[in-house]
Amino acid sequence: MRVDFALLLHATAEHIELTAIAVGIAVVIGVPLGAYLNRERFLAGPVLALVGVIQTVPSLALLGLLIPLLGIGEKPALLALFLYALLPIVRNTHDGLGSIDPSALEAARGMGMRPSQVLLRIALPLALPVVMGGIRTSTVINVGVATLAALIGAGGLGQFIFRGIAMVDMPTVLMGAIPSALLALVLDGLLAWAERRMIPAGLRAEN
Amino acid sequence: MMNRIRAVAGLFAFVAAAAILFKGVFLLIDIRDRKSDRNITIGSKAFTEGIVLAEIMAVVIERRTGLTVVRRTNLGGTHICFQALRAGEIDLYPEYTGTGLMAILEQPVVNDERRALRIVREAFDKRYRMVWLDPLGFNNTYALAMTEKKARELGIQRISDLAHHPELRAGFTSEFMARKDGYPGLKQLYGFSFTAEPGSMEAGLMYSAVAEAKVDVVSAYSTDGRITKFKLVLLDDDKHFFPPYQAAALIRRQALDRHPELETALSPLAGKLDDEQMRNINARIDLGGEKLESVAAEIAQQLLAARSGRTKP
Repeated sequence: MRVDFALLLHATAEHIELTAIAVGIAVVIGVPLGAYLNRERFLAGPVLALVGVIQTVPSLALLGLLIPLLGIGEKPALLALFLYALLPIVRNTHDGLGSIDPSALEAARGMGMRPSQVLLRIALPLALPVVMGGIRTSTVINVGVATLAALIGAGGLGQFIFRGIAMVDMPTVLMGAIPSALLALVLDGLLAWAERRMIPAGLRAEN
Repeated sequence: MMNRIRAVAGLFAFVAAAAILFKGVFLLIDIRDRKSDRNITIGSKAFTEGIVLAEIMAVVIERRTGLTVVRRTNLGGTHICFQALRAGEIDLYPEYTGTGLMAILEQPVVNDERRALRIVREAFDKRYRMVWLDPLGFNNTYALAMTEKKARELGIQRISDLAHHPELRAGFTSEFMARKDGYPGLKQLYGFSFTAEPGSMEAGLMYSAVAEAKVDVVSAYSTDGRITKFKLVLLDDDKHFFPPYQAAALIRRQALDRHPELETALSPLAGKLDDEQMRNINARIDLGGEKLESVAAEIAQQLLAARSGRTKP
């Protein structure tokens, strides 16, 4: 079968746009929220449970629920993807910060660092591998869920998958499914590379 | 205690921050997709016939008016399209009178084509400020289908014959499972039931399942090209359960008021496609592997040419 590369490229770009914006906002909100939950311990249980419950809503149902509020297209898709990206990021940030050796934090405080300095310069860098693990999980989940966005008019690679299923045409399905699987792998690889670059030199040897 | 209250209040800062970020992104999306007055947005459900009809309408509107057509086809099922039309996200989409009557208005079955059309026209105009343009001609009714082989083996020709075969495995689309003009009503009128509750599945996968003999009875559309592809037969609706399903453009009254030329522009489509022609168009795309857009452009061209040929002296 003939592959329409212009169309494929356009759909891939839409797919990346959806995933990147949703994960981006989830990082901006989720990492500080995770840190906040680590400080206000009593909130961690209920908030993580709430974010977890969102995760259990089937993706198509969530998209359907958002239509009356936001219409069709990219808006409901972005909000749904954001909600799905939240749990791994918030949970990993919270757990990552919670598992740091208390003596490291003690030493930092002993050196006269303010709490915000301890968080930004000691705790977050130490927890970085766990935090990045959450971001990578969210990204991979989002590439998958974003295929469903095609059903509410948000475009992306899902268009080929659903058109292919409707026409019982396997090559068309694969034209959406293969690039989306590759996309998940590539984005995950990119984030792994970024993670190695971000870990401070002093910590690299240990990891 | 005060600390705890302050901590909980802090959570709202996160919600507010997320809301502000989304507001910003949505604003950018709105600026990018700013709706021009010269734009008309066409939607469709996510199956071949819906998409191809929307595309034909798009081509005809583009050729006969100065409007720019934005295509938002392939939108899930009836519910999503209808909600999108109500919200003004799309201006029109191809819909079926029977679906309007039973799935949207939730009224009882009406067997007469003209009466069904009259009822949906009046009710949609009053309740939703939507207009049904003249139907395209064919009737794409719901039906039950089996493979020729299995139907011959068991001697099943009519839906009422199913009463003698409760052992058959049925697979229906989730819309058919839920709709009043689907399985629930059918079961009630015909008084049959299957030993195993029918499975609900996606339409394309349902056809694959019946072709591979994983299920015996499926729901189908009478103009679907896949009926030929998978050698299926439609069971005779001997108790006249299904209402007529004439396809027509369903359009927002507001869009029609703004662009009254739309009605004239689409008029060459009225009554021009019969069941056979529609099945052919679907088959060319689903079986022949022809590109949907080029088939739609060709059909639109034919319909327009037929019209101008007739009006010439």
